[in-house]
Amino acid sequence: MNANAEEMDLRERLDLMQKMIAEGRRKQESWGWTFVLWGIAYYVAFFWDWLASFPLAWPITMAAGGVLTFIGFSRRKYRAPETTIGRAIASIWIATGVSMFILFDAMGFGMHMGEARVFFAAASAMIGLANAACSLTLKWKAEFLCAIVWWAAAIVACFCNLVTAGVAFLAAIFICQIVFGAYMMVLESRQRRQVARHA
Amino acid sequence: MPELPELNPVIHGKLRLALLSLLAGVEEAEFTWLRAKTGSTDGNLGAQLMKLEEAGYVAVEKKFVQRKPQSIYRMTEAGREALQEYVQALKQLLGAAI
Repeated sequence: MNANAEEMDLRERLDLMQKMIAEGRRKQESWGWTFVLWGIAYYVAFFWDWLASFPLAWPITMAAGGVLTFIGFSRRKYRAPETTIGRAIASIWIATGVSMFILFDAMGFGMHMGEARVFFAAASAMIGLANAACSLTLKWKAEFLCAIVWWAAAIVACFCNLVTAGVAFLAAIFICQIVFGAYMMVLESRQRRQVARHA
Repeated sequence: MPELPELNPVIHGKLRLALLSLLAGVEEAEFTWLRAKTGSTDGNLGAQLMKLEEAGYVAVEKKFVQRKPQSIYRMTEAGREALQEYVQALKQLLGAAI
């Protein structure tokens, strides 16, 4: 092997190592489908509640979203490996989801919800918090932009009328759940192709 | 002129290098996950993991989950040190090549 070919071979190995280490650490990109799923779930609940005025629209849709997420994870071909960051991210989303489920159900059944803007503001702020915590954990700026969009929706809900607040909430769902989830899925499939090329 | 380092032959194999690098980023991983990430066949993957195990670079725990056999691999401290030394040697060699 001449010197150039040998150098290329060594560089290829270094590159392979970097790709594989990143693959092991990679976590949230593989959750892209859950972002899209929950984005659709929020839309279903929103329009079900708005068009049919069904008081259980949100709890039923959120519970169904939880079941579908569980089924999606349990049907994967392999269990994702344990990492500290992976556990941290999972904890943030599980804790946020459970808190929202308990708080909004309690507020709804306790007749303390008042008006929908309270729900939009609180839900947006909580989802923004989860996105911000994940982005800081992963040092992922793109996700912090989602947090900013959610917080903006929370502010709009506090200062604007109900229609504007509803539109801001729907826009935040579209940008931060559906578009961002699809972006994560694209990233994942691109990384998978790269890894397959190098392995 | 300083002597150039030798690359550890156990780690230098592409698949074994990929496996150690994958395990370096996680606490532990299932055989099926390693297979999916490397795109390797069961036989080849098993053989390379066995070599790493014999060298003391990975440890395996075999168990049954819902009546299905499951092999969980984790990198040992010796494996981590060997990989670090390999990276240093690789950088030194590449530095010499530039």
